[in-house]
Amino acid sequence: MKGRLVPVLLLLSLLAGGCAPETRPEPLRVAIPDSDHVQNPDTNYYVNWLEERTGLELEFVTIRRRDGEEYLDALFASDAEVDAVLFGDGFTIPEGALRRFAEAGELSPGEDGTFYYANYGDSVRHGPGQILWINCEWLGALGLSLPRTTEELRDVLRAFRTRDPNGNGVADEIPLAGSADDYACQPAELLLNSYVYNDPYHSRLTLSGGERKTAASENAFREGLAFCAALYREGLLDARAYERRASQLAELVNSPENLVGAFTTDSVSAVIYQGNPEILARYMHVAPLRGPHGAQNALYVEREPSVGAIIPARSKRQDDARRLLDTMLSEEASLIARYGEQGVDWEFSDGSDVSIYGGASTVVTKNYLWNTPQNKHLNGIGPMRVREEYLEGVTWNGVNSDAEYIDARARTSCRPYLPESGVFAERDEALSDYLDAAVRDFITGKREIGSDAEWNEYLSGLDALLRR
Amino acid sequence: MERISKRLGCALAALTLLLCAGCAGTASGTEGADAPAETARRAETPEELYARALEEDVLVVYTVSTRVTAVKESFEAAYPGLCVEVRDLRSPDLIDAVEKNHAEGLAACDVVLCNDNSGDFKERLVDTGVVVPYLPEDIAPHMKEGLSGGVLPFVYEAELLFYDGGGFDACPIDNLWALTEERWRGRVYMPNPLRSFSTYAFCGATFEHCGELEEAYRDYAGRELSVPEGSSAAAVFWERAAKNIVFTNSSDEVAEALGNGDAAFGVMVSSKLRLRGVGYALEPVWRLEPFAGCRTSCAAMLAADARNVNCAKLFLRFLLGEADGAGAGGEPFRTPGTWSARDDAADGTDVPLTEIDLIVPDQERLIARRQELERFWTEVLKENTAGRS
Repeated sequence: MKGRLVPVLLLLSLLAGGCAPETRPEPLRVAIPDSDHVQNPDTNYYVNWLEERTGLELEFVTIRRRDGEEYLDALFASDAEVDAVLFGDGFTIPEGALRRFAEAGELSPGEDGTFYYANYGDSVRHGPGQILWINCEWLGALGLSLPRTTEELRDVLRAFRTRDPNGNGVADEIPLAGSADDYACQPAELLLNSYVYNDPYHSRLTLSGGERKTAASENAFREGLAFCAALYREGLLDARAYERRASQLAELVNSPENLVGAFTTDSVSAVIYQGNPEILARYMHVAPLRGPHGAQNALYVEREPSVGAIIPARSKRQDDARRLLDTMLSEEASLIARYGEQGVDWEFSDGSDVSIYGGASTVVTKNYLWNTPQNKHLNGIGPMRVREEYLEGVTWNGVNSDAEYIDARARTSCRPYLPESGVFAERDEALSDYLDAAVRDFITGKREIGSDAEWNEYLSGLDALLRR
Repeated sequence: MERISKRLGCALAALTLLLCAGCAGTASGTEGADAPAETARRAETPEELYARALEEDVLVVYTVSTRVTAVKESFEAAYPGLCVEVRDLRSPDLIDAVEKNHAEGLAACDVVLCNDNSGDFKERLVDTGVVVPYLPEDIAPHMKEGLSGGVLPFVYEAELLFYDGGGFDACPIDNLWALTEERWRGRVYMPNPLRSFSTYAFCGATFEHCGELEEAYRDYAGRELSVPEGSSAAAVFWERAAKNIVFTNSSDEVAEALGNGDAAFGVMVSSKLRLRGVGYALEPVWRLEPFAGCRTSCAAMLAADARNVNCAKLFLRFLLGEADGAGAGGEPFRTPGTWSARDDAADGTDVPLTEIDLIVPDQERLIARRQELERFWTEVLKENTAGRS
């Protein structure tokens, strides 16, 4: 009996050895948003490169929400185990909203005390921040020229309102549309720049000899407001420009009914959906308009990095997560994250190409992947830091409806009208709130811009805020 | 509402197409369907094509012209139930995409509309059978040049010198060599010839006209042109002119620079003359010693891998203006700076092609000299774009 047991035990031990769990570490669980532009994260070129470079195995948890704050609330209220959360491609969270989670101890801080990894952006980080786009189909239909001055713009908008440029027999045209969600989408902010340099992102403040000065107290600013108020009264400036959400503006502009004559935005892709060449072909950028006294300014912005990733404090793999995210911020990783596989999808330029901004090129794209369904990178999801010389030096992909190229051309036309650098004051929230409300009220007629009494009352309030 | 329904229909059709593509893998064409090359010569009425096209999916058009979006609109209105998807690409990228699709067996496009002047289109897509011509029997007698080397041109244009009409009452030069003068530094705009086929065709064609360039130089400078050993009059001209030229990505950028006064001169495709309609003061140079540009054309071809052969043929008929040349499909290409490829349809330009100082690129020569020309331009571009920001 004993003798028969020996081979059985040997066999069992061999089988048991064969079935023993592998000693490989658990995969790092990474939450990433669902994206139409990423075919399969598990087989993605960039992901595979990251795994090879870090020695980590990544397991992806798909996020279906678009609101990052909602997602983190749900995540931290649950027992779900996630080692890193990546943001991007429509799934976002403002830095301010993250602070609540950091204060509650939900986020793992970095060595420098920051509680998130930044995405330094997928496009040029500084330059013109508001562009006017005009419906050139309507210009053509009505035999009108691109406006160069505020007066010419008013004439064009009047024609848009009264001459049925979309040809449907209905007075459904919105000559100049806007949205309340962002200064860049508020046409009045652009028009004011034809009177005086107007930077709402910096509370319309400039620094002069260390002293804060505001354009909002100048007569030219008042004159600009009066011009906008007149447009509003005539029905030329969108009556809902201070109520409409950005998504609603996008729906309007993308409507096949062809309803919008002009709008403003930072990037055309913020309003016109990619993959919509007919709508993109409908709009042309307009260089900054010259005002009645010759002022012609372009708004200058420096785009802040966005939240690229966080590490939950309860993750048991924080060091591994940090290794992954640090790697993603390296130049090599960031170039893959932006342009795909080197040598296949892009290569460094030999200098014989022209970049989308008109300078000598630094990166030549061979397969243009951005915002297309592809499996080479994560389309901007997660932290990344591509140097400006590459973002500005990339070549055009040859697609006429490519938003990056359209934006680059528009921004190039604004560059001669940018202010000198180094004159910007820090944003003052209380002042911004006061000015934003005043601009809206004067334009929509809640306050009378022609009334000296109301203007003086406004100036008093402004002065008090400036003196604080 | 009707329009919304149609769009919805298009979207559903596109979805169906995607689903079908997903189910069927990536095989080219459809078993039992007409092969484009075999049916391209058949006489078919528009009615027959329309009936068969209704059974097909969304037509995919690869084009180098944004004006095709207007053709799409009128085509979908003329033939309810048919949907067109337009992909607008620059010529080199279009050829790369069509070639790649074909190599991978992807039936990704049905109709190809491309500038055919540099020789690339002919060499890589026509001579290899990746695209085939479709010239309906009732339209063929009206085409000025018919099938030229297996390519069907549907509109003629020119790569032409323009000047800023806002800055000058009349063209300030009468000889091409004047563009090499230092006073025009940074004031001459031209697309990168290695990225724009029509510009490449013009630049390349000048190398076949060196005698005329030398003669023009004699008239301009009053002395013989000194041409270094191993060089040519064309090379000397471009090396000198390039110091003044701002190279761009596209003709649109040239038109903008002329429109806003940044450029005094611009070399660009003549069809951008239509942008005068939005107020750009673009003035074409019709007369210049020894030439003001080169004639170019756009070809309309069927993709050999087309899935939607009948719809593609119907679209091409429509684009050519149908039997009498007056159809709405040709209308977007009857704009200033274009000339009809048909003898029974009006040109978009008042000045006939014969009254413009143009040279005509020889595609075979451009193909034969490609390496030499590319080397030359790579060096010229490196030298003249480096350090620009």
